Amino acid sequence: MKTGLKGLDPRSKLVLVLCLSTLGVFIQDIGILTAVLCVSIALSTASGSRLFVLIRKFRRILWLFVAIAVIQSIFAPSGRVLVSLGGIKLITAGGLYKGVAMVLRMSIVMVSATIMATSNSREIVQGLVQWKVPYEIAFMVSVAIRFLPLLTDEIKNVVTAVQLRGIELDRIPARQRVKVYSYLIMPVVSGAVIKSRELATTMETRAFRAYPKRTSYMVLTMQRIDYTVIITSLITSILTLILYIKC
Amino acid sequence: MTVPLEVRDIWYGYPGGKGDVLKGVNLAVERGEVLAVVGLSGSGKSTLCYCLSGIVPHIYQGNLRGQTLIKGTPTTSMKIPEIATRLGIVFQEPDNQLFSPTVEDEVAFGPENLCLSREEIGERLELALKQVGMEGFRFGSPNQLSGGQKQLIALASVLSLDPEILIFDEAMSQIDEQGKAGIKSVIVGLKERDKTIVMIEHDFDNLDVADRVLLLRDGVLQPFEGRL
Ligand SMILES: Nc1ncnc2c1ncn2[C@@H]1O[C@H](COP(=O)(O)OP(=O)(O)O)[C@@H](O)[C@H]1O
Ligand SMILES: [Mg+2]
Repeated sequence: MKTGLKGLDPRSKLVLVLCLSTLGVFIQDIGILTAVLCVSIALSTASGSRLFVLIRKFRRILWLFVAIAVIQSIFAPSGRVLVSLGGIKLITAGGLYKGVAMVLRMSIVMVSATIMATSNSREIVQGLVQWKVPYEIAFMVSVAIRFLPLLTDEIKNVVTAVQLRGIELDRIPARQRVKVYSYLIMPVVSGAVIKSRELATTMETRAFRAYPKRTSYMVLTMQRIDYTVIITSLITSILTLILYIKC
Repeated sequence: MTVPLEVRDIWYGYPGGKGDVLKGVNLAVERGEVLAVVGLSGSGKSTLCYCLSGIVPHIYQGNLRGQTLIKGTPTTSMKIPEIATRLGIVFQEPDNQLFSPTVEDEVAFGPENLCLSREEIGERLELALKQVGMEGFRFGSPNQLSGGQKQLIALASVLSLDPEILIFDEAMSQIDEQGKAGIKSVIVGLKERDKTIVMIEHDFDNLDVADRVLLLRDGVLQPFEGRL
């Protein structure tokens, strides 16, 4: 049996994630956002997520974050000019502040989402079902999530097929590469659509939607720690928001 | 006694397709019989499976004439979930048939849909996994299995619905030798339990478990004489 935050019910995780992201979306203050991000990182690690593995895997995309901060600051200039180029205010104090807040906000949403990923899809479906979400909708959500890896599989297959024909995608000029990729969109999408149609057919041939109700072999039960987590996260985030708005 | 699976003069063309893929197919499969169907790629073997299992016309519409009867009842007068308790189907591609994070979830999916009690689901789960010899993988993830093991789990997920008829659509084409041997021994076991089995095959080595072999060519079934 998993203990502590690792064995948390998917429903408690959902509440926790929703609270953290709500704080991330509403708060503008960099100090508080940093605090929320630290809490998210701590909770994500405690829940047994592979946060640092993921960060390493997606470290190339981290540059995108910096780019977003800079773009944000260019398009919303305010306050003291820090860097300018030919009369255009490139980086301003106010703009930079907003850019950093934006990056913090996105990080909070993504880090807290990794908490959800520590439950498997069936557990999440079951959590939703026990919350009286119709099972068809709950399974649809899980199949939609399943669609994403299908799409990446399909991209890998198609890129391999292209490379087997002797086209080295890394070597050709950028403009032509874009052209090649645009030719690949159709086979990738149609491949993924065929796969998901087969998946849907399989589900039907296993009696999916036989009745308006369905039983479940898996049963989730909330433990004391689940109630503690749900109540604590709701109270803490509501208090934080109230204090933030008042001050 | 009624025949478990019978096809009467089926003609079928896909919506928007060029003409009929099946052109007057007739077939009757007995209890405890293993029928193999061979044919070239694109000859309509999968389409025949769709017609046998009610996927045509319930999921793929198109132009269908003739009837498929499951224990005397036409598939057109049953819904797909209703057919699922009488007829199970295993497809070619292992990955497109598994959608659950654990083997247990996958095999329990069918019985859950039938609204069985948790005790009965548990019993069916154990029995189905035992039939395919995969009890040891119950709590693992299907993603970590070999292609052959994945097909065994797909088969167990169908067996947990306890159907009398089983269709295998080139179920052994994507898997290694060991996986093929596994599936074949399950087929032999099912035959001994008087199940009715149709297997689509392109590999002649797998025909040894069949009682009868037919060839699908130009949209009709004919006796197989050793050549496609
Ligand atoms: N969904 C579909 N829509 C239109 N035509 C199809 C579809 N699926 C298969 N076909 C056509 O039907 C014919 C038979 O296909 P299929 O039954 O898959 O053959 P086999 O399984 O023997 O390889 C092929 O010509 C194929 O192009
Ligand atoms: Mg086929």
